Amino acid sequence: MSSASTAGQAASSSSSAPTRLWPGWSHLTRDARDTLFLLSLIGWTVLPHLFHLPLWCAVLTAAVLLTRGVLALKGAALPGRWSLVAVLVLTTGLTFWSYGSLLGKEPGVAMAVALMAIKTLELRARRDAFVVFFLGFFLILTQFLYSQSLLVALAMLVSVWGLLSALVLASMPVGKPPLSLVMGLAGKTALLGAPLMVVMFMLFPRISPLWGVPQDNQSGMGLSNTMSFGSVAVLAQNEGVAMRLRFDGPPVPAQSAYFRGPVLGHFDGMEWTAQPPSFPAVLTPRADLAVRGQAIGYEVTLEPLRLKSIPLLEASTAAPQIDGVRVAQTDDLQWLADQPLYSRVRFRSVAHTDFSHGPVAPLIGLQDYIDLPAGYNPRTLAWAMAMRRQPRYAEAGADVLAAALMEHIRTGGYSYTLTPGAYGEVDPRSAVDEFWLDRKLGFCEHFAAAFVVVMRALDVPARVVTGYQGFDATPVDGFHVVRHSNAHAWAEYWREGVGWVRADPTTAVAPERVLSNRRLVAAPGLMDGAMGLVGPRVLAQFRQGWEAINNRWNQWVLDYSRGTQLDLLSRIGFGQPDWEDLAWLMVAACGVLSLAATGWAWWERQRIDPWKRQMTQLRAAVLRLGVPSADHDSPRTLAQRVRTQLGDAGEPLARGFDAIDAARYGRHAQTRPDPQLTREFTAHARRLAQARSVVRAR
Amino acid sequence: MKGTAAVRARIARRIDAWLQQRSPRSDSLLLTHRNVYILPTTAGLLFCLTLVVLLVASINYQLNLGYLLTFLLAGSGVVSMHMTHNTLRGLTLQLRPVHAAFAGDTAVLEAVLSAGRGDRYGVALRLQSADASSASHTDVPAQGQAVLQIGFVPAARGRHALPTLCVQTHFPMGLFRAWAVWHPAMSVLVYPQPERPASALPAALGVPGGPLRSRTAGADEFDGVRPYRRGDAPKAIAWKQAAKTLASGGDLISRDHSAHTQQQLWLSWHDCGISGAEARLSRLAAWIVEADRRDVAWGLSLPAEELPMGQGDQHRQQGLERLALWSA
Repeated sequence: MSSASTAGQAASSSSSAPTRLWPGWSHLTRDARDTLFLLSLIGWTVLPHLFHLPLWCAVLTAAVLLTRGVLALKGAALPGRWSLVAVLVLTTGLTFWSYGSLLGKEPGVAMAVALMAIKTLELRARRDAFVVFFLGFFLILTQFLYSQSLLVALAMLVSVWGLLSALVLASMPVGKPPLSLVMGLAGKTALLGAPLMVVMFMLFPRISPLWGVPQDNQSGMGLSNTMSFGSVAVLAQNEGVAMRLRFDGPPVPAQSAYFRGPVLGHFDGMEWTAQPPSFPAVLTPRADLAVRGQAIGYEVTLEPLRLKSIPLLEASTAAPQIDGVRVAQTDDLQWLADQPLYSRVRFRSVAHTDFSHGPVAPLIGLQDYIDLPAGYNPRTLAWAMAMRRQPRYAEAGADVLAAALMEHIRTGGYSYTLTPGAYGEVDPRSAVDEFWLDRKLGFCEHFAAAFVVVMRALDVPARVVTGYQGFDATPVDGFHVVRHSNAHAWAEYWREGVGWVRADPTTAVAPERVLSNRRLVAAPGLMDGAMGLVGPRVLAQFRQGWEAINNRWNQWVLDYSRGTQLDLLSRIGFGQPDWEDLAWLMVAACGVLSLAATGWAWWERQRIDPWKRQMTQLRAAVLRLGVPSADHDSPRTLAQRVRTQLGDAGEPLARGFDAIDAARYGRHAQTRPDPQLTREFTAHARRLAQARSVVRAR
Repeated sequence: MKGTAAVRARIARRIDAWLQQRSPRSDSLLLTHRNVYILPTTAGLLFCLTLVVLLVASINYQLNLGYLLTFLLAGSGVVSMHMTHNTLRGLTLQLRPVHAAFAGDTAVLEAVLSAGRGDRYGVALRLQSADASSASHTDVPAQGQAVLQIGFVPAARGRHALPTLCVQTHFPMGLFRAWAVWHPAMSVLVYPQPERPASALPAALGVPGGPLRSRTAGADEFDGVRPYRRGDAPKAIAWKQAAKTLASGGDLISRDHSAHTQQQLWLSWHDCGISGAEARLSRLAAWIVEADRRDVAWGLSLPAEELPMGQGDQHRQQGLERLALWSA
């Protein structure tokens, strides 16, 4: 009970620890046990990171954690400051060696993981421990950059619970509190905080990225009206939903699902924008869409992209019917609304995957599509000239040239990566040169833009088309989900006699980017591994169940977006809700919650001690019999007083007081008063009072 | 710099005075929402900063799971604030009587903490003037009690009010610190600091008719012997003489302490042989302690007051109390 006795126990348990390294979990000193708990927690938190971190980082982290564990078991001193600095310098050097930079997501995560481990070697003061805890929370968040699957969420929930427990443990300085108690307290705190979490999650306005995030455009999403070459060093995978599709018949194969968004025909050397017509309307190329084959009817639920462009399946022929919005097809086959769409809309359209468009015969307006800014990318232009000078390409048509370029991309040492680094930083006039001839690293935008530049240098009209490509393999409740990470850029070149022909250079370098579903995360794979052990039917059922849960997870948590929020608001009666309504509602809800908490605390305060309440009742009962009492009278005093004043008639009442005395202070003391006793006592007192009044009446 | 320090000191005094007025002196304290204060700790502010970083990362990378994490932590933080406050609220503190102490020595305060409903973890008690590391911690089980001891070093003799105490907790997460200020009504009697090293006791004065001998001369000397009586301690037996008498077929022989009562040791202000009131009191205190240790009867003579000859614990306390409260 007292601090001295518990401290004594802790000391004796530590002194009785034998010299063996592992004395058993319950024999560990408090310090060693807490440190090991924290170390295993850190190990668990960084474990999923090890799959995508360089080997040295995994080895270093494991080595540091193990060293720290052994030090804790031995009760040995921590290493000095200089050895820490040495490890830190080593980590920094290795990070730079691996990534060529210390900034950015990947090197940042590698550094954070290593730092977390190294910091455990420096747990001297309370403050150090808190730094570790908070760094731990940050590491948990970095997991979500890679995957937000249900499994990762569950694993990280364990980590959060553990870190909260470590926080609680640090605030319980007395004795050696059992871990089960500590985890219970942490769990209770988190559970009580859960309502606040739900309210804030639902109502915190989802705003667009604040700064510096790749694809930082006016909509903050995957699609935009412009595209600047090479400025995006790292492409963030925004897994938010762009639209959901439901096909009337069988779905279009994902690899041929191109959703046509803004068409960018004008290149100023830095940025691709829509082509302003520089010729009279008669001379500019028209859409001239011709479709063949079967029509595919489909329904679209489009999340607000805040663009005028409506990305529809190539080539859709039916204009979307949207209330209050006029939608028309442009000459470059794009569906354009007369105003940007700020809310979620649902409409139907019809598409033909077999189609041709654009002028069949040469047209003066096509000149716009072979324009290249003067003075930019001279080496690429020279490379194209050299190609043209080869005899087999001297008189070649557009198809042959395009095929040759595709072949060049396939075999020329190009790599597809989401983290190519920035281009044109040294010389903005040779950004494409740098990509096409030197570094050869990029994602769809780089390949599409470079392809178009080279085609134009070869005198073939070409342009960049942006939009979405593909959708999730597994439909959710019959809906195919197109995500912002499906945003794509490809090219079109013009061929005499045919019109505009789609060429997707990304397929040449990374066919899986287009052919397969990129959103196949690790989670299903992990599940498959464990599934080999059970029968195929159970397996199939289990997989279905798992997918259903995963779908719900995607729908309710991962797909929860601004559109969903505004939907929710309009469903509960807000007309034309906006983010301010959300913010007010959130503040109000949090206020209500905290008021409820305050009210509860007030009610707790008002609740009288149950023992006191019982005594008040009993004292009132004996007062009617003429036995006075005061607040401070103990049950034993009252028993005595009742015996002397009421005699034998009051004996049951006196025994009642004695029973209370025993229940409160006796050897088998109870925590709560016995309501039965109260009832019998008051009943007897009432009978006694009645009997007396009868006697008096006679 | 000096100016700001002065201003800060003045503000601190104002706040202290205000707190003093809010919490009257009392030996028992029931912690309620009226006297429990709460503020975030440095760790709490760091936690806030972490939340901001997590939120910005969630916004910038559009991570819904990141939002969930951030808000779960925020919710837990808010709940922990209530739990920190609850840990103190409803707690009753009762101060046990404080034993007198010598100036410069540690006086020990003992407080009994009663939990009432709910377990209380990590409750700490410290002097408000001391830093946080000097606090002593305890857990209080529901409906149970725990005792916390805390030491303080009184500087000067006299009867002093107990120092202001601070009961506090960081439980459950260390993000908030809840505390209450406690002004105990009890006072502590502080004896003068005994002179160290103690100077030799003055010579005992024999009462008329008694032998003129001092106990200070040597521990082995004794004043007389008598036959052994049942109940004499082995220490009191004069083994040398006893060996002789035993050899000659006699009984054991004990030292005769009754001879002491004939000795009277007067500890006098005027015979201190030192100047300065406090120095004299220090020496007298050391003498009383020494005389008591040696089991000698002694009397105390101070200017304008006198403690008659006596012996024993109570006599010692009386003597030291006179010294503690003496004023010219």
